[in-house]
Amino acid sequence: MANEEKPDFSDVELGSSSTLPTPEPEEQTYTIVSGDSLSKIAKHFYGDAGRWREIFEANRDVIKDPDLIYPGHTIKIPSA
Amino acid sequence: MRFHRTTTLILLGCIALFGCKKKEEAPPPETVAPAPVESPTPTPTPATVPFKVTSIDLGKAIGPDKKVTDPTTTFGPKDTIYAVVSSEGSGPDVKLTAKWTFGDKGQPVGSEDKTVTPNGSASATEFHASKKSGWPVGHYKVEILADGTSAGTKEFEVKK
Repeated sequence: MANEEKPDFSDVELGSSSTLPTPEPEEQTYTIVSGDSLSKIAKHFYGDAGRWREIFEANRDVIKDPDLIYPGHTIKIPSA
Repeated sequence: MRFHRTTTLILLGCIALFGCKKKEEAPPPETVAPAPVESPTPTPTPATVPFKVTSIDLGKAIGPDKKVTDPTTTFGPKDTIYAVVSSEGSGPDVKLTAKWTFGDKGQPVGSEDKTVTPNGSASATEFHASKKSGWPVGHYKVEILADGTSAGTKEFEVKK
């Protein structure tokens, strides 16, 4: 019985790079600095301070209280 | 005499009336011939060349400019295979895909995407593939797609 065995390519490693710029990642990060607030960050990224909650929701794992954010922490900024 | 005075008054009234009216009238159309319009010198606008793949090259190594430095279509089992996509033009983001297949039946080896932002300059995007346990001997293909449309296929062979 002719059993045509297919080669296993599960350990193939692929990669790529380009001289062209690559688009901005959909989700940015931001490192909090002294004097920041979620409203201020929302205003900076979205132009709307009222969207602070979106940032808060995306960072529930690191921000427990939206009024307490700490300089040096890096948070995720969801795409606008 | 009275008739003469009345006529004079009417005449003066008319002059006054027309005198005032004339100020309200729109200015007469200009009769000055317009200056000859010089034909505008065409401003050279940079030609917008849409993004296109100009070549696909295979090799065992690439340089800092991402170009193949060791072009070949025959590889050894332990080689890293580079497929370099040269392109030009500008436009919106383009998703380049390299689809690697093996044999006549096109057994999938792997697929890699790279989204780039064409900026008008000649550019190179490299895709590479390696296999820790070594490539099986045989014939392979790598197809390059730009936004899902085939931009070319290159065949290569792995020999012992």
